[in-house]
Amino acid sequence: MTTSQKHRDFVAEPMGEKPVGSLVGIGEVLGKKLEERGFDNAYVVLGQFLVLKKDEDLFREWLKDTCGANAKQSRDCFGCLREWCDAFL
Amino acid sequence: MAGLSDLELRRELQALGFQPGPITDTTRDVYRNKLRRLRGEARLRDEERLREEARPRGEERLREEARLREDAPLRARPAAASPRAEPWLSQPASGLAYATPGAYGDIRPSAASWVGSRGLAYPARPAQLRRRASVRGSSEEDEDARTPDRATQGPGLAARRWWAASPAPARLPSSLLGPDPRPGLRATRAGPAGAARARPEVGRRLERWLSRLLLWASLGLLLVFLGILWVKMGKPSAPQEAEDNMKLLPVDCERKTDEFCQAKQKAALLELLHELYNFLAIQAGNFECGNPENLKSKCIPVMEAQEYIANVTSSSSAKFEAALTWILSSNKDVGIWLKGEDQSELVTTVDKVVCLESAHPRMGVGCRLSRALLTAVTNVLIFFWCLAFLWGLLILLKYRWRKLEEEEQAMYEMVKKIIDVVQDHYVDWEQDMERYPYVGILHVRDSLIPPQSRRRMKRVWDRAVEFLASNESRIQTESHRVAGEDMLVWRWTKPSSFSDSER
Repeated sequence: MTTSQKHRDFVAEPMGEKPVGSLVGIGEVLGKKLEERGFDNAYVVLGQFLVLKKDEDLFREWLKDTCGANAKQSRDCFGCLREWCDAFL
Repeated sequence: MAGLSDLELRRELQALGFQPGPITDTTRDVYRNKLRRLRGEARLRDEERLREEARPRGEERLREEARLREDAPLRARPAAASPRAEPWLSQPASGLAYATPGAYGDIRPSAASWVGSRGLAYPARPAQLRRRASVRGSSEEDEDARTPDRATQGPGLAARRWWAASPAPARLPSSLLGPDPRPGLRATRAGPAGAARARPEVGRRLERWLSRLLLWASLGLLLVFLGILWVKMGKPSAPQEAEDNMKLLPVDCERKTDEFCQAKQKAALLELLHELYNFLAIQAGNFECGNPENLKSKCIPVMEAQEYIANVTSSSSAKFEAALTWILSSNKDVGIWLKGEDQSELVTTVDKVVCLESAHPRMGVGCRLSRALLTAVTNVLIFFWCLAFLWGLLILLKYRWRKLEEEEQAMYEMVKKIIDVVQDHYVDWEQDMERYPYVGILHVRDSLIPPQSRRRMKRVWDRAVEFLASNESRIQTESHRVAGEDMLVWRWTKPSSFSDSER
Protein backbone atom coordinates (compact mmCIF):
# COMPACT_ATOMS: atom_id res chain seq x y z
CA MET A 1 0.00 0.00 0.00
CA THR A 2 1.44 3.31 -0.92
CA THR A 3 1.76 5.71 1.92
CA SER A 4 0.98 9.35 1.61
CA GLN A 5 3.41 12.15 2.13
CA LYS A 6 1.70 13.01 5.36
CA HIS A 7 2.28 9.51 6.62
CA ARG A 8 5.94 9.59 5.68
CA ASP A 9 6.36 12.94 7.31
CA PHE A 10 4.75 11.81 10.56
CA VAL A 11 6.61 8.54 10.88
CA ALA A 12 9.96 10.07 10.04
CA GLU A 13 10.55 11.83 13.35
CA PRO A 14 9.43 11.98 16.98
CA MET A 15 6.09 13.71 17.16
CA GLY A 16 7.01 16.11 19.91
CA GLU A 17 4.31 18.77 20.20
CA LYS A 18 2.80 18.26 16.77
CA PRO A 19 -0.89 19.12 16.62
CA VAL A 20 -3.49 16.47 16.25
CA GLY A 21 -4.07 17.54 12.67
CA SER A 22 -0.68 16.17 11.74
CA LEU A 23 -1.97 12.62 12.23
CA VAL A 24 -2.76 10.83 9.00
CA GLY A 25 -6.47 10.70 8.31
CA ILE A 26 -7.25 13.55 10.70
CA GLY A 27 -8.15 16.67 8.75
CA GLU A 28 -9.51 20.00 9.87
CA VAL A 29 -12.98 18.85 10.82
CA LEU A 30 -11.94 15.79 12.73
CA GLY A 31 -9.05 17.62 14.29
CA LYS A 32 -11.37 20.23 15.69
CA LYS A 33 -13.67 17.58 17.10
CA LEU A 34 -10.76 15.87 18.81
CA GLU A 35 -9.55 19.11 20.27
CA GLU A 36 -12.96 19.74 21.69
CA ARG A 37 -12.71 16.45 23.53
CA GLY A 38 -9.36 17.39 24.94
CA PHE A 39 -7.14 15.59 22.52
CA ASP A 40 -5.29 18.65 21.38
CA ASN A 41 -1.90 17.19 20.60
CA ALA A 42 -0.91 14.17 18.67
CA TYR A 43 0.71 12.67 21.73
CA VAL A 44 -2.60 12.64 23.59
CA VAL A 45 -4.09 10.53 20.83
CA LEU A 46 -0.96 8.41 21.07
CA GLY A 47 -1.72 8.07 24.75
CA GLN A 48 -5.18 6.76 23.98
CA PHE A 49 -3.74 4.41 21.40
CA LEU A 50 -1.36 3.00 23.98
CA VAL A 51 -4.01 2.76 26.66
CA LEU A 52 -6.05 0.65 24.31
CA LYS A 53 -2.99 -1.54 24.06
CA LYS A 54 -2.50 -0.78 20.40
CA ASP A 55 -5.56 -2.86 19.50
CA GLU A 56 -6.73 -1.92 16.06
CA ASP A 57 -10.41 -2.58 16.47
CA LEU A 58 -10.70 -0.81 19.77
CA PHE A 59 -8.72 2.21 18.65
CA ARG A 60 -10.61 2.57 15.43
CA GLU A 61 -13.91 2.21 17.21
CA TRP A 62 -12.87 4.80 19.73
CA LEU A 63 -11.80 7.17 16.97
CA LYS A 64 -15.08 6.71 15.21
CA ASP A 65 -17.05 7.33 18.39
CA THR A 66 -15.00 10.32 19.41
CA CYS A 67 -14.75 12.32 16.22
CA GLY A 68 -16.76 10.42 13.64
CA ALA A 69 -13.87 9.19 11.52
CA ASN A 70 -14.79 6.88 8.68
CA ALA A 71 -13.15 3.56 7.95
CA LYS A 72 -10.37 4.89 5.77
CA GLN A 73 -9.53 7.74 8.07
CA SER A 74 -9.38 5.55 11.14
CA ARG A 75 -7.36 2.98 9.31
CA ASP A 76 -4.85 5.52 8.19
CA CYS A 77 -4.58 7.03 11.63
CA PHE A 78 -4.08 3.66 13.22
CA GLY A 79 -1.48 2.75 10.66
CA CYS A 80 0.59 5.84 11.15
CA LEU A 81 0.49 5.59 14.93
CA ARG A 82 1.49 2.00 14.80
CA GLU A 83 4.42 2.66 12.57
CA TRP A 84 5.48 5.56 14.70
CA CYS A 85 5.46 3.29 17.73
CA ASP A 86 7.47 0.65 15.92
CA ALA A 87 10.05 3.22 15.10
CA PHE A 88 10.28 5.26 18.25
CA LEU A 89 8.64 3.56 21.18
CA MET B 1 -24.34 -3.58 30.76
CA ALA B 2 -24.43 0.00 31.97
CA GLY B 3 -24.51 -1.08 35.55
CA LEU B 4 -21.14 -2.76 35.46
CA SER B 5 -18.35 -1.19 37.42
CA ASP B 6 -14.90 -1.00 35.93
CA LEU B 7 -13.71 -4.00 37.83
CA GLU B 8 -16.70 -6.08 36.85
CA LEU B 9 -16.28 -5.02 33.25
CA ARG B 10 -12.69 -6.10 33.37
CA ARG B 11 -13.61 -9.43 34.86
CA GLU B 12 -16.32 -10.08 32.34
CA LEU B 13 -13.94 -9.34 29.49
CA GLN B 14 -11.29 -11.56 30.97
CA ALA B 15 -13.80 -14.33 31.44
CA LEU B 16 -14.44 -14.20 27.73
CA GLY B 17 -10.74 -14.46 27.02
CA PHE B 18 -9.93 -10.84 26.21
CA GLN B 19 -7.28 -8.86 28.07
CA PRO B 20 -8.40 -5.25 28.33
CA GLY B 21 -6.11 -2.34 28.97
CA PRO B 22 -6.88 0.32 31.56
CA ILE B 23 -10.51 1.23 31.80
CA THR B 24 -10.59 4.99 31.91
CA ASP B 25 -13.20 7.55 31.07
CA THR B 26 -12.17 7.48 27.45
CA THR B 27 -11.95 3.74 27.11
CA ARG B 28 -14.97 2.66 29.07
CA ASP B 29 -17.46 2.86 26.25
CA VAL B 30 -15.14 1.08 23.90
CA TYR B 31 -14.75 -1.81 26.29
CA ARG B 32 -18.45 -1.97 26.95
CA ASN B 33 -19.10 -2.38 23.27
CA LYS B 34 -16.38 -4.97 23.12
CA LEU B 35 -18.05 -6.91 25.88
CA ARG B 36 -21.34 -6.76 24.08
CA ARG B 37 -19.76 -8.04 20.91
CA LEU B 38 -17.91 -10.82 22.67
CA ARG B 39 -21.05 -11.96 24.38
CA GLY B 40 -22.94 -12.03 21.13
CA GLU B 41 -20.11 -13.90 19.53
CA ALA B 42 -20.03 -16.42 22.32
CA ARG B 43 -23.72 -16.97 22.05
CA LEU B 44 -23.48 -17.48 18.33
CA ARG B 45 -20.63 -19.82 18.76
CA ASP B 46 -22.75 -21.92 21.05
CA GLU B 47 -25.40 -22.13 18.42
CA GLU B 48 -22.84 -22.83 15.77
CA ARG B 49 -21.40 -25.62 17.79
CA LEU B 50 -24.78 -27.22 18.17
CA ARG B 51 -25.29 -26.96 14.49
CA GLU B 52 -21.84 -28.28 13.80
CA GLU B 53 -22.58 -31.43 15.63
CA ALA B 54 -25.51 -31.95 13.36
CA ARG B 55 -23.53 -31.22 10.24
CA PRO B 56 -20.00 -32.51 10.61
CA ARG B 57 -19.24 -32.06 6.97
CA GLY B 58 -19.60 -28.32 7.12
CA GLU B 59 -16.24 -28.05 8.78
CA GLU B 60 -14.52 -29.79 5.91
CA ARG B 61 -16.05 -27.40 3.47
CA LEU B 62 -14.81 -24.43 5.43
CA ARG B 63 -11.28 -25.67 5.45
CA GLU B 64 -11.29 -26.12 1.72
CA GLU B 65 -12.55 -22.65 1.14
CA ALA B 66 -10.06 -21.23 3.58
CA ARG B 67 -7.10 -22.90 2.00
CA LEU B 68 -8.00 -21.59 -1.38
CA ARG B 69 -8.09 -18.09 -0.10
CA GLU B 70 -4.65 -18.12 1.42
CA ASP B 71 -3.02 -16.00 -1.16
CA ALA B 72 -5.61 -13.23 -1.07
CA PRO B 73 -4.12 -10.23 0.64
CA LEU B 74 -6.36 -9.81 3.56
CA ARG B 75 -6.13 -6.89 5.85
CA ALA B 76 -7.04 -8.13 9.18
CA ARG B 77 -9.85 -6.89 11.16
CA PRO B 78 -9.83 -10.01 13.15
CA ALA B 79 -11.78 -9.60 16.31
CA ALA B 80 -14.31 -7.11 15.09
CA ALA B 81 -14.85 -8.81 11.79
CA SER B 82 -15.11 -12.25 13.24
CA PRO B 83 -18.39 -11.72 15.00
CA ARG B 84 -19.70 -10.18 11.87
CA ALA B 85 -18.44 -12.82 9.56
CA GLU B 86 -19.23 -15.72 11.85
CA PRO B 87 -22.91 -15.10 11.86
CA TRP B 88 -22.70 -14.97 8.14
CA LEU B 89 -20.99 -18.27 8.27
CA SER B 90 -23.58 -20.01 10.31
CA GLN B 91 -26.56 -18.04 9.26
CA PRO B 92 -26.28 -16.77 5.77
CA ALA B 93 -29.58 -15.12 6.25
CA SER B 94 -28.40 -12.55 8.71
CA GLY B 95 -24.85 -12.32 7.50
CA LEU B 96 -23.77 -9.65 5.21
CA ALA B 97 -25.44 -6.61 6.56
CA TYR B 98 -22.32 -4.65 5.94
CA ALA B 99 -22.30 -4.40 2.23
CA THR B 100 -22.97 -0.88 1.12
CA PRO B 101 -24.47 0.54 -1.98
CA GLY B 102 -21.17 2.22 -2.61
CA ALA B 103 -19.45 -1.09 -2.57
CA TYR B 104 -22.12 -2.70 -4.55
CA GLY B 105 -20.10 -2.41 -7.66
CA ASP B 106 -17.07 -3.82 -5.91
CA ILE B 107 -18.80 -6.82 -4.53
CA ARG B 108 -20.04 -8.21 -7.77
CA PRO B 109 -16.76 -8.46 -9.63
CA SER B 110 -14.98 -9.60 -6.53
CA ALA B 111 -17.62 -12.15 -5.83
CA ALA B 112 -17.47 -13.31 -9.40
CA SER B 113 -13.70 -13.58 -9.28
CA TRP B 114 -13.98 -15.29 -5.99
CA VAL B 115 -16.27 -17.89 -7.34
CA GLY B 116 -14.11 -18.28 -10.39
CA SER B 117 -10.86 -18.56 -8.54
CA ARG B 118 -12.17 -21.09 -6.15
CA GLY B 119 -13.62 -23.23 -8.79
CA LEU B 120 -16.19 -24.44 -6.38
CA ALA B 121 -19.77 -24.03 -7.36
CA TYR B 122 -21.53 -22.11 -4.70
CA PRO B 123 -23.84 -20.08 -6.83
CA ALA B 124 -26.19 -19.59 -3.94
CA ARG B 125 -23.70 -17.65 -1.86
CA PRO B 126 -22.68 -14.94 -4.29
CA ALA B 127 -26.28 -14.54 -5.29
CA GLN B 128 -27.10 -14.04 -1.67
CA LEU B 129 -24.23 -11.58 -1.38
CA ARG B 130 -25.61 -9.51 -4.18
CA ARG B 131 -29.09 -9.71 -2.83
CA ARG B 132 -27.92 -8.70 0.58
CA ALA B 133 -25.92 -5.86 -0.87
CA SER B 134 -28.93 -4.46 -2.60
CA VAL B 135 -31.35 -5.04 0.22
CA ARG B 136 -29.34 -3.86 3.19
CA GLY B 137 -28.55 -0.17 3.31
CA SER B 138 -25.31 1.12 4.54
CA SER B 139 -25.06 0.36 8.17
CA GLU B 140 -21.53 1.56 8.10
CA GLU B 141 -20.55 4.14 5.57
CA ASP B 142 -16.88 3.62 5.98
CA GLU B 143 -16.53 0.17 4.56
CA ASP B 144 -15.48 1.10 1.05
CA ALA B 145 -12.25 -0.62 0.37
CA ARG B 146 -12.93 -3.08 3.08
CA THR B 147 -15.84 -4.90 1.60
CA PRO B 148 -14.06 -6.80 -1.14
CA ASP B 149 -11.81 -8.14 1.49
CA ARG B 150 -14.66 -9.01 3.71
CA ALA B 151 -16.58 -10.58 0.90
CA THR B 152 -13.64 -12.74 0.05
CA GLN B 153 -12.97 -13.57 3.56
CA GLY B 154 -16.66 -14.22 3.97
CA PRO B 155 -17.32 -17.65 5.31
CA GLY B 156 -14.80 -19.67 7.14
CA LEU B 157 -12.97 -17.24 9.30
CA ALA B 158 -11.29 -20.39 10.36
CA ALA B 159 -9.19 -19.49 7.34
CA ARG B 160 -6.97 -17.41 9.51
CA ARG B 161 -5.60 -20.45 11.15
CA TRP B 162 -3.97 -21.36 7.92
CA TRP B 163 -2.43 -18.02 7.13
CA ALA B 164 1.10 -18.76 6.21
CA ALA B 165 2.16 -15.17 5.75
CA SER B 166 0.59 -12.43 7.73
CA PRO B 167 1.06 -9.03 6.15
CA ALA B 168 3.26 -7.30 8.65
CA PRO B 169 4.91 -8.34 11.87
CA ALA B 170 3.10 -5.62 13.71
CA ARG B 171 -0.12 -7.07 12.44
CA LEU B 172 0.66 -10.26 14.12
CA PRO B 173 -0.46 -9.36 17.61
CA SER B 174 -3.73 -7.94 16.41
CA SER B 175 -4.32 -10.65 13.85
CA LEU B 176 -3.42 -13.33 16.27
CA LEU B 177 -6.08 -11.84 18.44
CA GLY B 178 -8.37 -13.26 15.81
CA PRO B 179 -7.32 -16.85 15.32
CA ASP B 180 -5.64 -17.69 18.54
CA PRO B 181 -8.18 -16.49 20.99
CA ARG B 182 -10.81 -18.17 18.98
CA PRO B 183 -9.76 -21.66 19.81
CA GLY B 184 -8.80 -20.25 23.13
CA LEU B 185 -12.02 -18.33 23.24
CA ARG B 186 -13.94 -21.45 22.71
CA ALA B 187 -12.03 -23.19 25.43
CA THR B 188 -12.00 -20.32 27.87
CA ARG B 189 -15.57 -19.45 27.23
CA ALA B 190 -16.50 -23.05 27.70
CA GLY B 191 -14.17 -23.13 30.67
CA PRO B 192 -15.53 -20.44 32.91
CA ALA B 193 -19.05 -20.97 31.66
CA GLY B 194 -18.56 -24.64 32.25
CA ALA B 195 -17.08 -24.03 35.61
CA ALA B 196 -19.88 -21.69 36.47
CA ARG B 197 -22.34 -24.25 35.20
CA ALA B 198 -20.62 -27.15 36.90
CA ARG B 199 -21.08 -25.73 40.32
CA PRO B 200 -24.83 -25.27 40.18
CA GLU B 201 -25.03 -28.56 38.30
CA VAL B 202 -23.22 -30.40 41.02
CA GLY B 203 -25.38 -28.70 43.57
CA ARG B 204 -28.49 -29.60 41.62
CA ARG B 205 -27.46 -33.21 41.28
CA LEU B 206 -26.72 -33.42 44.97
CA GLU B 207 -30.10 -31.93 45.70
CA ARG B 208 -31.81 -34.42 43.46
CA TRP B 209 -30.06 -37.39 45.03
CA LEU B 210 -30.72 -36.13 48.51
CA SER B 211 -34.40 -35.64 47.85
CA ARG B 212 -34.67 -39.06 46.29
CA LEU B 213 -32.90 -40.62 49.24
CA LEU B 214 -35.22 -38.88 51.66
CA LEU B 215 -38.24 -40.07 49.71
CA TRP B 216 -37.14 -43.69 49.82
CA ALA B 217 -36.19 -43.41 53.47
CA SER B 218 -39.59 -42.07 54.39
CA LEU B 219 -41.30 -44.80 52.34
CA GLY B 220 -39.16 -47.37 54.08
CA LEU B 221 -40.06 -45.94 57.42
CA LEU B 222 -43.74 -46.11 56.55
CA LEU B 223 -43.39 -49.76 55.59
CA VAL B 224 -41.58 -50.50 58.83
CA PHE B 225 -44.34 -48.77 60.72
CA LEU B 226 -47.00 -50.82 59.01
CA GLY B 227 -44.99 -53.94 59.64
CA ILE B 228 -44.81 -53.24 63.33
CA LEU B 229 -48.54 -52.60 63.30
CA TRP B 230 -49.22 -55.91 61.64
CA VAL B 231 -47.01 -57.86 64.00
CA LYS B 232 -48.56 -56.31 67.03
CA MET B 233 -52.01 -57.06 65.77
CA GLY B 234 -51.02 -60.64 66.15
CA LYS B 235 -52.52 -63.74 64.75
CA PRO B 236 -54.93 -65.37 67.05
CA SER B 237 -53.66 -68.87 67.53
CA ALA B 238 -55.90 -71.33 69.22
CA PRO B 239 -55.68 -75.03 69.47
CA GLN B 240 -57.51 -76.19 66.43
CA GLU B 241 -57.41 -79.81 67.37
CA ALA B 242 -60.26 -79.52 69.77
CA GLU B 243 -62.55 -78.40 66.98
CA ASP B 244 -61.75 -81.49 64.96
CA ASN B 245 -62.07 -83.80 67.85
CA MET B 246 -65.53 -82.64 68.63
CA LYS B 247 -66.77 -84.34 65.54
CA LEU B 248 -66.41 -87.77 67.12
CA LEU B 249 -69.51 -89.82 67.82
CA PRO B 250 -71.18 -89.22 71.16
CA VAL B 251 -70.52 -92.39 73.11
CA ASP B 252 -70.62 -92.69 76.76
CA CYS B 253 -67.10 -93.26 77.81
CA GLU B 254 -67.11 -92.45 81.49
CA ARG B 255 -65.79 -95.61 82.86
CA LYS B 256 -64.37 -97.47 79.90
CA THR B 257 -60.69 -97.32 79.13
CA ASP B 258 -60.31 -98.78 75.67
CA GLU B 259 -58.57 -96.89 72.97
CA PHE B 260 -61.61 -95.28 71.47
CA CYS B 261 -62.76 -94.09 74.78
CA GLN B 262 -59.38 -92.81 75.64
CA ALA B 263 -59.40 -90.87 72.45
CA LYS B 264 -62.84 -89.52 73.25
CA GLN B 265 -61.74 -88.57 76.69
CA LYS B 266 -58.80 -86.84 75.27
CA ALA B 267 -61.17 -85.08 72.95
CA ALA B 268 -63.34 -83.98 75.81
CA LEU B 269 -60.27 -82.84 77.63
CA LEU B 270 -59.15 -80.83 74.75
CA GLU B 271 -62.59 -79.34 74.37
CA LEU B 272 -62.47 -78.31 77.95
CA LEU B 273 -59.11 -76.84 77.49
CA HIS B 274 -60.31 -75.01 74.48
CA GLU B 275 -63.16 -73.46 76.39
CA LEU B 276 -60.82 -72.60 79.21
CA TYR B 277 -58.41 -71.06 76.82
CA ASN B 278 -61.10 -68.97 75.21
CA PHE B 279 -62.45 -67.87 78.52
CA LEU B 280 -59.09 -66.87 79.82
CA ALA B 281 -58.22 -65.13 76.62
CA ILE B 282 -61.39 -63.11 76.61
CA GLN B 283 -60.95 -62.15 80.22
CA ALA B 284 -57.38 -61.13 79.64
CA GLY B 285 -58.41 -59.19 76.61
CA ASN B 286 -61.09 -57.40 78.53
CA PHE B 287 -58.65 -56.60 81.24
CA GLU B 288 -56.21 -55.13 78.74
CA CYS B 289 -58.76 -53.22 76.79
CA GLY B 290 -60.43 -50.96 79.23
CA ASN B 291 -61.45 -53.50 81.85
CA PRO B 292 -65.26 -53.18 81.81
CA GLU B 293 -65.69 -55.91 84.39
CA ASN B 294 -63.20 -54.32 86.77
CA LEU B 295 -61.00 -57.37 87.07
CA LYS B 296 -58.13 -57.10 89.46
CA SER B 297 -55.62 -58.74 87.16
CA LYS B 298 -55.24 -60.86 84.10
CA CYS B 299 -54.89 -63.89 86.27
CA ILE B 300 -58.27 -65.54 86.87
CA PRO B 301 -58.65 -67.43 90.16
CA VAL B 302 -59.05 -71.19 89.83
CA MET B 303 -62.47 -71.26 91.42
CA GLU B 304 -63.88 -68.77 88.98
CA ALA B 305 -62.45 -70.61 86.04
CA GLN B 306 -63.77 -73.89 87.31
CA GLU B 307 -67.21 -72.41 87.79
CA TYR B 308 -67.29 -71.00 84.34
CA ILE B 309 -66.13 -74.25 82.79
CA ALA B 310 -68.67 -76.19 84.76
CA ASN B 311 -71.37 -73.88 83.46
CA VAL B 312 -70.25 -74.10 79.90
CA THR B 313 -69.24 -77.71 79.39
CA SER B 314 -71.14 -79.45 82.13
CA SER B 315 -68.07 -81.33 83.16
CA SER B 316 -67.08 -82.26 86.65
CA SER B 317 -64.30 -80.82 88.71
CA ALA B 318 -62.37 -84.02 88.28
CA LYS B 319 -62.15 -83.38 84.62
CA PHE B 320 -61.03 -79.85 85.35
CA GLU B 321 -58.26 -81.09 87.55
CA ALA B 322 -57.32 -83.64 84.92
CA ALA B 323 -57.10 -80.84 82.46
CA LEU B 324 -54.86 -78.86 84.72
CA THR B 325 -52.65 -81.87 85.24
CA TRP B 326 -52.45 -82.32 81.54
CA ILE B 327 -51.38 -78.73 81.12
CA LEU B 328 -48.76 -79.13 83.75
CA SER B 329 -47.39 -82.31 82.26
CA SER B 330 -47.42 -81.14 78.68
CA ASN B 331 -44.33 -79.35 77.62
CA LYS B 332 -45.98 -77.69 74.68
CA ASP B 333 -47.02 -74.14 74.88
CA VAL B 334 -50.76 -74.39 75.50
CA GLY B 335 -51.26 -70.73 75.96
CA ILE B 336 -52.38 -70.95 79.53
CA TRP B 337 -50.16 -70.06 82.42
CA LEU B 338 -50.75 -71.62 85.77
CA LYS B 339 -49.69 -69.33 88.53
CA GLY B 340 -49.14 -70.14 92.16
CA GLU B 341 -49.03 -67.90 95.23
CA ASP B 342 -45.64 -66.69 94.33
CA GLN B 343 -46.03 -65.22 90.89
CA SER B 344 -42.55 -65.90 89.69
CA GLU B 345 -42.19 -69.47 90.86
CA LEU B 346 -43.01 -72.41 88.65
CA VAL B 347 -45.95 -74.50 89.69
CA THR B 348 -45.61 -78.27 89.70
CA THR B 349 -48.75 -79.62 91.30
CA VAL B 350 -52.37 -78.88 90.85
CA ASP B 351 -52.85 -77.91 94.50
CA LYS B 352 -50.48 -75.04 94.29
CA VAL B 353 -52.32 -73.46 91.38
CA VAL B 354 -54.00 -70.29 92.50
CA CYS B 355 -54.94 -68.62 89.26
CA LEU B 356 -54.84 -69.04 85.53
CA GLU B 357 -53.70 -66.59 82.99
CA SER B 358 -53.93 -66.55 79.26
CA ALA B 359 -50.76 -66.14 77.28
CA HIS B 360 -52.62 -64.81 74.26
CA PRO B 361 -55.20 -62.32 75.40
CA ARG B 362 -57.90 -61.85 72.83
CA MET B 363 -58.73 -58.28 72.15
CA GLY B 364 -61.06 -56.60 69.78
CA VAL B 365 -59.84 -55.26 66.49
CA GLY B 366 -60.14 -51.66 67.50
CA CYS B 367 -58.28 -52.32 70.70
CA ARG B 368 -55.57 -54.17 68.89
CA LEU B 369 -55.20 -51.45 66.35
CA SER B 370 -54.94 -48.73 68.91
CA ARG B 371 -52.41 -50.63 70.95
CA ALA B 372 -50.35 -51.42 67.89
CA LEU B 373 -50.46 -47.84 66.77
CA LEU B 374 -49.33 -46.65 70.14
CA THR B 375 -46.42 -49.08 70.24
CA ALA B 376 -45.31 -48.27 66.75
CA VAL B 377 -45.48 -44.54 67.32
CA THR B 378 -43.62 -44.80 70.59
CA ASN B 379 -40.86 -46.84 69.03
CA VAL B 380 -40.54 -44.53 66.09
CA LEU B 381 -40.60 -41.51 68.35
CA ILE B 382 -37.93 -42.94 70.60
CA PHE B 383 -35.75 -43.54 67.60
CA PHE B 384 -36.45 -40.06 66.37
CA TRP B 385 -35.69 -38.45 69.69
CA CYS B 386 -32.44 -40.36 69.96
CA LEU B 387 -31.46 -39.16 66.54
CA ALA B 388 -32.44 -35.60 67.34
CA PHE B 389 -30.43 -35.70 70.49
CA LEU B 390 -27.34 -36.98 68.72
CA TRP B 391 -27.78 -34.39 66.03
CA GLY B 392 -28.01 -31.64 68.60
CA LEU B 393 -24.87 -32.92 70.22
CA LEU B 394 -23.06 -32.87 66.92
CA ILE B 395 -24.13 -29.32 66.18
CA LEU B 396 -23.03 -28.22 69.59
CA LEU B 397 -19.63 -29.82 69.16
CA LYS B 398 -19.13 -28.26 65.77
CA TYR B 399 -20.07 -24.88 67.10
CA ARG B 400 -17.63 -25.25 69.90
CA TRP B 401 -14.80 -26.27 67.61
CA ARG B 402 -15.51 -23.40 65.33
CA LYS B 403 -15.45 -20.99 68.22
CA LEU B 404 -12.13 -22.35 69.40
CA GLU B 405 -10.71 -22.07 65.93
CA GLU B 406 -11.87 -18.49 65.63
CA GLU B 407 -10.37 -17.58 68.95
CA GLU B 408 -7.08 -19.06 67.96
CA GLN B 409 -7.10 -17.11 64.74
CA ALA B 410 -7.91 -13.92 66.57
CA MET B 411 -5.05 -14.56 68.93
CA TYR B 412 -2.56 -14.99 66.13
CA GLU B 413 -3.79 -11.85 64.46
CA MET B 414 -3.25 -9.97 67.67
CA VAL B 415 0.23 -11.42 68.07
CA LYS B 416 1.14 -10.26 64.60
CA LYS B 417 -0.10 -6.76 65.27
CA ILE B 418 1.79 -6.60 68.52
CA ILE B 419 5.02 -7.68 66.91
CA ASP B 420 4.62 -5.02 64.29
CA VAL B 421 3.94 -2.34 66.86
CA VAL B 422 6.89 -3.29 69.02
CA GLN B 423 9.22 -3.47 66.07
CA ASP B 424 8.07 -0.12 64.73
CA HIS B 425 8.53 1.40 68.13
CA TYR B 426 12.06 0.12 68.23
CA VAL B 427 12.79 1.46 64.78
CA ASP B 428 11.43 4.83 65.85
CA TRP B 429 13.64 4.75 68.90
CA GLU B 430 16.65 4.08 66.72
CA GLN B 431 15.73 7.16 64.75
CA ASP B 432 15.46 9.12 67.96
CA MET B 433 11.75 9.57 67.74
CA GLU B 434 11.07 7.67 70.94
CA ARG B 435 12.61 8.00 74.36
CA TYR B 436 12.89 4.39 75.37
CA PRO B 437 13.52 1.25 73.38
CA TYR B 438 10.73 -0.56 75.15
CA VAL B 439 7.01 -0.03 75.13
CA GLY B 440 4.52 -0.78 77.83
CA ILE B 441 2.27 -3.73 77.34
CA LEU B 442 -0.80 -1.86 78.40
CA HIS B 443 0.10 0.99 76.10
CA VAL B 444 0.28 -1.40 73.22
CA ARG B 445 -3.04 -2.86 74.18
CA ASP B 446 -4.67 0.50 74.37
CA SER B 447 -3.30 1.51 71.02
CA LEU B 448 -4.40 -1.66 69.28
CA ILE B 449 -7.81 -2.23 70.82
CA PRO B 450 -10.37 0.53 70.93
CA PRO B 451 -11.92 1.13 74.33
CA GLN B 452 -15.28 -0.40 73.57
CA SER B 453 -13.79 -3.73 72.59
CA ARG B 454 -11.33 -4.05 75.41
CA ARG B 455 -13.51 -6.13 77.62
CA ARG B 456 -14.58 -8.33 74.77
CA MET B 457 -11.04 -8.91 73.56
CA LYS B 458 -9.63 -9.48 77.03
CA ARG B 459 -9.31 -13.21 76.54
CA VAL B 460 -7.67 -12.85 73.15
CA TRP B 461 -5.29 -10.26 74.51
CA ASP B 462 -4.26 -12.37 77.47
CA ARG B 463 -3.61 -15.35 75.30
CA ALA B 464 -1.58 -13.22 72.93
CA VAL B 465 0.53 -11.87 75.79
CA GLU B 466 1.10 -15.38 77.02
CA PHE B 467 2.06 -16.54 73.59
CA LEU B 468 4.56 -13.75 73.19
CA ALA B 469 6.11 -14.41 76.54
CA SER B 470 6.65 -18.05 75.75
CA ASN B 471 7.07 -18.28 72.01
CA GLU B 472 8.53 -15.09 70.65
CA SER B 473 12.27 -14.73 71.01
CA ARG B 474 12.58 -11.30 69.47
CA ILE B 475 10.45 -9.62 72.09
CA GLN B 476 11.56 -9.51 75.71
CA THR B 477 9.08 -9.05 78.49
CA GLU B 478 10.58 -6.92 81.22
CA SER B 479 9.58 -4.73 84.07
CA HIS B 480 10.55 -1.10 83.89
CA ARG B 481 9.59 2.22 85.23
CA VAL B 482 7.77 3.94 82.44
CA ALA B 483 6.28 7.41 82.83
CA GLY B 484 6.57 7.19 86.56
CA GLU B 485 5.04 3.82 87.16
CA ASP B 486 6.35 0.30 87.16
CA MET B 487 4.89 -1.69 84.41
CA LEU B 488 5.61 -4.65 82.24
CA VAL B 489 7.12 -3.69 78.94
CA TRP B 490 8.11 -5.30 75.72
CA ARG B 491 11.49 -4.69 74.24
CA TRP B 492 12.48 -5.55 70.76
CA THR B 493 15.79 -7.39 70.92
CA LYS B 494 17.73 -6.47 67.83
CA PRO B 495 18.55 -9.67 66.02
CA SER B 496 20.40 -9.99 62.70
CA SER B 497 19.07 -8.57 59.50
CA PHE B 498 16.78 -11.40 58.47
CA SER B 499 14.58 -10.84 61.44
CA ASP B 500 11.26 -10.42 59.78
CA SER B 501 9.19 -13.51 59.34
CA GLU B 502 6.48 -11.69 57.45
CA ARG B 503 8.06 -9.15 55.11
